Amino acid sequence: MKLIEALDILKGMKRRKGEALVCSLAAGINPLHLKTFLAAELSLLFADQTIEISEGLFGDFLGNLGRLAKADAEIGIVLMEWSDLDPRLGIRNSARWTPLELADILSTARARAAQIQQGIEETCQRLPVVVCLPTLPLPPISFVPGWEAGWFELDLKAIVQSVGAQVSRCAQVRVLSPQRIDLLSPLQERFDVESEVLTGFPYRLPHASVLANCLARLTRNPIPKKGLITDLDDTVWRGIVGEAGTDGISWDLDQHSQMHAFYQRFLGAMASEGVLIGVASKNDPVRVEEALRRSDLALSPAAIFPVEASWGPKSQAVTRILRTWNVGADSVVFVDDSSLELAEVKAAHPEIECLLFPTKDNAAIYQLALRLRDLFGKSIVLEEDSIRMESIRRSQANTEVLDSSTASPSGFLEDVDAEMSFDFSRTPLDPRALQLVNKTNQFNLNGRRYTEASWHNYFLNPASWLLLASYRDKFGPLGKVAAIAGCQEGKKLIVHTWVMSCRAFSRRIEYKCLAELLDRFNPDEIEFDYLQTDRNGPIGTFLSDVLGALPMSSCTISREALETRLGSLLEA
Amino acid sequence: MDEKQVRLAGCFSAVFPELNTDEILKASPTSVSDWDSVAGVTLLAVVEEEFGISIEVDDMASFNSFDGFLSYLQAAEKGSQHCSIDG
Repeated sequence: MKLIEALDILKGMKRRKGEALVCSLAAGINPLHLKTFLAAELSLLFADQTIEISEGLFGDFLGNLGRLAKADAEIGIVLMEWSDLDPRLGIRNSARWTPLELADILSTARARAAQIQQGIEETCQRLPVVVCLPTLPLPPISFVPGWEAGWFELDLKAIVQSVGAQVSRCAQVRVLSPQRIDLLSPLQERFDVESEVLTGFPYRLPHASVLANCLARLTRNPIPKKGLITDLDDTVWRGIVGEAGTDGISWDLDQHSQMHAFYQRFLGAMASEGVLIGVASKNDPVRVEEALRRSDLALSPAAIFPVEASWGPKSQAVTRILRTWNVGADSVVFVDDSSLELAEVKAAHPEIECLLFPTKDNAAIYQLALRLRDLFGKSIVLEEDSIRMESIRRSQANTEVLDSSTASPSGFLEDVDAEMSFDFSRTPLDPRALQLVNKTNQFNLNGRRYTEASWHNYFLNPASWLLLASYRDKFGPLGKVAAIAGCQEGKKLIVHTWVMSCRAFSRRIEYKCLAELLDRFNPDEIEFDYLQTDRNGPIGTFLSDVLGALPMSSCTISREALETRLGSLLEA
Repeated sequence: MDEKQVRLAGCFSAVFPELNTDEILKASPTSVSDWDSVAGVTLLAVVEEEFGISIEVDDMASFNSFDGFLSYLQAAEKGSQHCSIDG
């Protein structure tokens, strides 16, 4: 982004009527144009809101960090540069640079690093914090030539890396990837010496633009995709299994097909992080089954579900997979080595992201993995992520049993030893609740999404409450599958947010949640902040059952009516 | 206005969005209340970026009006300044 474009975006933002997103920036530098870029990038991300960025005092990094911990802001950004660890590392300082000073600089840097870490850890108790470690080149302070990394440079960088590693473990802290910055902004094109001397703003405009873009993205990571559907021939492996046979396909160095093993490992890694992996292949199902049984496959067949191998159109296979996963097409990526197949799937499912697998172009396959990592990446892996695939597999089996069973749903749930547990604790906030709120579409009371900051702020209200429901049965756990948040106003309970994973459908969990709310809060009535969306039909149907009428926005039901309805619905 | 003046006016408009074209042509720190040191530095950066030039510290005193910027850019084009211009 050019500076003039950023200013134009901000000009347009002034016409917005939405509430302000307050972002507090703790830096030792004069943030000048970075602040402009940052406001513009944030205004693109938070399209309905105006952006306010507060900054501290020039040159007082630690003081600004201390003020950030008490700031009335929704997002904190910590921007560190070398001179914040010791002013002697900047060029605006006139202190002596001698070999004897180096150990003292390291000593100061260590002490300040500890203070910085403590400051970030304190701040993240109150608000989400985005951290940027130093991105400028070190000045030529050490006695070694530029091509040699001396102990001073390495020790100093280790100090900074240690701060980054420690704070990155905090739930509300995200650290900007130095590797991504290195890719986007060449080191030699970052430092603006003239500007640093004149104004205290040390960045060249392109570098400031890159930093602002990445920092803004970290304040609101995009919702990761949920599932990847992949082809097999010339994709998961090299060769056509229907022609070459099970032993004729390969993924190894000897046959120049190693990058297929790389892709398999990558898919395996994503599956273990909770990404759904399915297969859509125009193939003989028997041949595919044989190939997937090969012991040297770098991807466990257990990580793939379902496998749709047939001679029909791929778009139909994709439709069946989406139905099995019960996710929307916009949450899915389709990978195939054929542009024709990609186009056919895209025509039937325009919301699917279709990516070409560049067989025989090793570098492009590597780039594809980087792209997939960005599409599916998440800040944390939760317990629910590791059991998602297995629970979908079980869910389908259960649904098939339920469909063929003559027992009532409640009888079936007793047969499978269904157990539910409810957790009302709010401190610390379980990150699974926000994950559910921001990725659930179908059983979602109103489709409202939250940032980490707005979610955190919601629970600052002492009248607010959170219910997180977990489910397990004799086939295994589903984990935390439902989140309900609301406020208590006297004898009235208001439900502002209610989401439930689609994996948990058909288990009466939603009814049990309502019964739990009645039991816990003993309200005279419950109000649901319902809003119909394009995709929340399932919760609309559920509310119709409960209310005995089509739900309206902000619909209310009395305790007596609810108990009567729940009694009959839970016994059904 | 020629193409250079239009582009320069665009730079001024980005930094001082409240000004109309007439006001931009007469703009100076005395006529524009928002023209403080930060706005001045921002305007310089926007002009440098827009015209692909690098303005030297010693020349900065002449950037106190629309005409001052325009004169610099015209002179630079003729090669009498120590800078280059991207079309």
